Amino acid sequence: MQQPFWRRFVRNRPAAFGLAFLAFVVVLALGAPLLFPGDPFRIVDMTFLPPFGAYLFGTDSLGRDIAAGIAHGGRTSLMVGLVASIVAVSIGTLLGAVAGFYRGWIDDALMRFTEFFQTIPTFLFAIVLVAIMSPSRGSIIVAIAVISWPPIARLVRGEFMAMREREFVQAAICLGMTDLAIIFRQILPNVLSPIIVAGSLMVATAILIEAALAFLGLGDSNAMSWGFMIGAGRSFLRDAWWLCAIPGIAILLTVLSINLVGEGVNDALNPRLRTL
Amino acid sequence: MSGSTIFSRSLAAALLAAALCAAPEFALAQKRGGTLVQITQPEPPTLASYLSTSGPIGQVTAKIYDGLLEYGFDMKPQPCLAESWSVAPDGKTVSFKLRRGVKFHDGKPFTSADVQFTIMEVLKKVHPRGIGTFKEVTAVETPDAQTAIFRLANAAPYMMAALSGYESPMIPKHIYGTGDIRSHESANKPVGTGPFKFVEWRRGELVRLDRNPDYWRSGQPYLDRIVVRFIADSATRSALLEKGEAHVAGFGAVPYNDVKRLAALPGLEVTTKGYEMISPVVEITINTKRPPFDNVKVRQAVSYAVNRQFAIDSIWFGYGRLATGAISSNFKASGLYSADVRNYSVPNAVEMANKLLDEAGFPRKADGTRFEIVHDITPYGEEWQRFGEAVQQQLAQVGIKATLRYEDVATWLKRTYTDYDFFLTSNFLYNLADPVLGVHRSFHSALIKQGTVFVNGSRWSSPQTDELMNKAALEPDTAKRGAYYAELQKLTAEAAPIIWVHELLFPTILNKRYKDVIVSPLGIYGAYNRAWLDR
Amino acid sequence: MAIGPGTILYVVRRLLQAVPIVVGIVVLNFLLLQLAPGDAATVLAGEAGGAPPEYVAQLRERFGLDRPMHVQLLLYVKNVLTLDLGYSFRNSMPVSELIFGRLGPTLLLMGTTLIVSVLSGVLLGLVAATAVNTWRDRVISVAAVIAYATPLFWIGLMLILLFSIKLDWLPTTGMEDVVAFNEGWDRVLDIARHLVLPTLTLSLFYMALYTRMMRAAMLDQRGMDYVVTARSKGLAERLITYRHVLRNAVLPVVTMAGVQVGSLLGGSVIVESVFAWPGLGQLAFQSLFARDFNLLLGIFFLSACLVVLVNLIVDLVYLVLDPRIKLG
Repeated sequence: MQQPFWRRFVRNRPAAFGLAFLAFVVVLALGAPLLFPGDPFRIVDMTFLPPFGAYLFGTDSLGRDIAAGIAHGGRTSLMVGLVASIVAVSIGTLLGAVAGFYRGWIDDALMRFTEFFQTIPTFLFAIVLVAIMSPSRGSIIVAIAVISWPPIARLVRGEFMAMREREFVQAAICLGMTDLAIIFRQILPNVLSPIIVAGSLMVATAILIEAALAFLGLGDSNAMSWGFMIGAGRSFLRDAWWLCAIPGIAILLTVLSINLVGEGVNDALNPRLRTL
Repeated sequence: MSGSTIFSRSLAAALLAAALCAAPEFALAQKRGGTLVQITQPEPPTLASYLSTSGPIGQVTAKIYDGLLEYGFDMKPQPCLAESWSVAPDGKTVSFKLRRGVKFHDGKPFTSADVQFTIMEVLKKVHPRGIGTFKEVTAVETPDAQTAIFRLANAAPYMMAALSGYESPMIPKHIYGTGDIRSHESANKPVGTGPFKFVEWRRGELVRLDRNPDYWRSGQPYLDRIVVRFIADSATRSALLEKGEAHVAGFGAVPYNDVKRLAALPGLEVTTKGYEMISPVVEITINTKRPPFDNVKVRQAVSYAVNRQFAIDSIWFGYGRLATGAISSNFKASGLYSADVRNYSVPNAVEMANKLLDEAGFPRKADGTRFEIVHDITPYGEEWQRFGEAVQQQLAQVGIKATLRYEDVATWLKRTYTDYDFFLTSNFLYNLADPVLGVHRSFHSALIKQGTVFVNGSRWSSPQTDELMNKAALEPDTAKRGAYYAELQKLTAEAAPIIWVHELLFPTILNKRYKDVIVSPLGIYGAYNRAWLDR
Repeated sequence: MAIGPGTILYVVRRLLQAVPIVVGIVVLNFLLLQLAPGDAATVLAGEAGGAPPEYVAQLRERFGLDRPMHVQLLLYVKNVLTLDLGYSFRNSMPVSELIFGRLGPTLLLMGTTLIVSVLSGVLLGLVAATAVNTWRDRVISVAAVIAYATPLFWIGLMLILLFSIKLDWLPTTGMEDVVAFNEGWDRVLDIARHLVLPTLTLSLFYMALYTRMMRAAMLDQRGMDYVVTARSKGLAERLITYRHVLRNAVLPVVTMAGVQVGSLLGGSVIVESVFAWPGLGQLAFQSLFARDFNLLLGIFFLSACLVVLVNLIVDLVYLVLDPRIKLG
């Protein structure tokens, strides 16, 4: 007796909260041009006005409206996180599945290929890529995707290798199902939950990597993002806490929501857990 | 600045007089011992200050290597390794009488042969600025161990301002004379005659210097040890000073907004002295060969549009002085500075800029913009990024849509000085000890050299200004030099190949228990032989 | 599964395979870095505040940058094959010397972090999973999610603010007290005190990662057929958890720990930068911006060797933990 996925999902209260908050962030990001028209980099007032005064979140070191930055920055941060993760998870899952399923020389070749990307320490690799391509939104997305897929590939491969030996897979092979069908219909659904967990963590990581790059001065100077705001505000941590704290909290809550949603999906996909 | 009373000033003068009379060992109440921790940012690439003028190197090596001369706050030379000197009336012969009994850290004596070697074989050949500074020197004669006579092809008055241990370190011939000076095995184990001996360099961490007990100024130095630490994160650097784990930091090592907070702490003090021979200037270099900036009216317009006072107040937190033109007002004392130029910091600057742009043939389009450009940002830290963001907004006010580009050092240098692929770029240059050394390079036609960094990147020049600089370089008479330079400043301000934004006043943060650390216009580039710890 | 001759043969085969791979990696890295605009000579000249073109040309000649790229590449590969990592002209030191100087501090920080985070992550994940949907699970899960969502540099700066400046319990930065220059046990103790904050900062992140992976995997495994079977056989829940579930649940953690070990040599740019820790991450970061490619390639090379080795070890661990996996 299984309830539909959606019902199971919303019954999980943290996940429902996560989804609600995430929806709020998405609406805010999409509505930014209406809510805060104009350039978010525009200098609107005195510098360092504290929050909850004339401006909801105050102004920053140049006198820019932080609330406008949060709204506009949400677009960039979410987009960077999402696009980079989707690209990375797709590549990682595909290569990991193929390697883990076929093994042999295909596995060898793909894993050697993966190894190349893993041999350079990840964050350093991202820095190298961004430095080579010049910091911009595009180069940051590419860099994050490039460094993020190998762990997924290895994870999926490990799961596939274990699944390959399972009775139901062996049975499917005996029944003469095509490889494609076995990979996508038989095995993939069974290893989806670690992929979803890893994928949701990756959106989080991607947003954090964007912030870390900005912290090191490698953000896109033309696109307002939460990472940029933290990078620009970090020197003022001691005397204007809100410059870093507000985008920091925005990142924290968004990442938290993404993770809760991810876990909710995981739990809803594995109803067995609920019956324990 | 705290207001000093007449009384305290005369007291200081009296003390100074007393100190000058007394033998060094008994002077004042200096105490022996203690370790001074200095923060230098970034870590120097090497310790070969005879080979590279990279800023952080000098902050370390000036304690190890002495120069022939030192300089007072009046910029006048004072004896150091040279006890005395004389310049012939035609300026083509300069003789130095060297101090007796000076020993290098390895115990070998310092003689005129070392001077000859250092100048002729090292500085004149491989030192980035020495090649220019000693261009006119044809020979260094050494009639005896204590005499070095410089023979010059032409008078070079600026040379006398460039003989400090920071700018022209005296290095031992018996060590660096053998092998390739450019990749010498002792490059990072410097041996000098200075107050502190090199002990070790732990890369990424620190350089340790210990007291030289055989220093030629007997009794000095007072400190037992200097440790120079390298801390990559700026907030961390502030925390270290605040906690007393480090005692001195300068050259923007501490974020400008933190300086005020640190200055308010009881144990710390802040000074902007000690940069008078460096005279850093914040500017925006304009590519005068690329349209629309080949039009002088457009250049003048952006010069008006950039709000200098905003940059000083909001980005450098007050650590700047409005710049008027090509030469820093630090040269007021030597009579080379002139304020009689076109003034771009006027109340109606935005209006002026709009008017000039209209006149130049760039009317506002329907969307309010006139044209689009890319504004490059010099990659030397986050103030520059904020400055770029501010300039972007100020240009938007006059209808210029600027996109920002922030790249790393190598990329930016190549773009600006090799490819000339930029419109406007923020920039940061030192006027140094003399305009010949620090100012000519930005305007002289001979210094439009593709691939050479920090020279004439705007590629603007004129026969008239070239002539003025040529004359000023060889002119020993200060008043005449001043007249040439006044004219130069006027003409360059009119042509506006560069937007001079402000004269950056680097704050040096000092722990109050340490005394006499900043005692010359070279500041942190000083030897620290007189610095002492008051326990 | 026992480690038999088959396993040894497998290991030898993998190691032999690794040689051309590492060479390939070296070549790819070399080519990748060639894409970066500007070179070491420009940077040195730039830092010097400007230099005549003759000087820059001299530098290029000395660094070998004036030779065609393929010659530089061949020379480099030849040197690497003889385990000569070249010379860092910028630092006037052989690359190997520079790297080995930083190896100790790097391994100390990263090793401590690895141990702390794996142990505590597995433990917390286990606790959370065995008490799923209780307050213990909630507290651990929420803490892990928050820890994972917090930027490292921010935590680092906050810890310095709290424990060094406000409470004055621990030193702000560095690896040891530079005024005292301690010896012997005093030095060990001093280094341990300096190690606390950076390890804590870095561990929080990995610990959250392992906790979450461990919990998810544990819950996943518990629904598996073999567990249902075991339960129906009447095995004690505790036995099922520790004998069967734990063994399988730890697999993803092993994979991730392998990735973490692989990144050991890279250090952590962010944490090293905040805590002024003299590790390889900062060295690599600086060498990139100085275009000191011999040094950067050297770090990449060693890192590549380590990753290849670790991947092999991870595969072997899989073998021991999950007997169903066969050698390829």
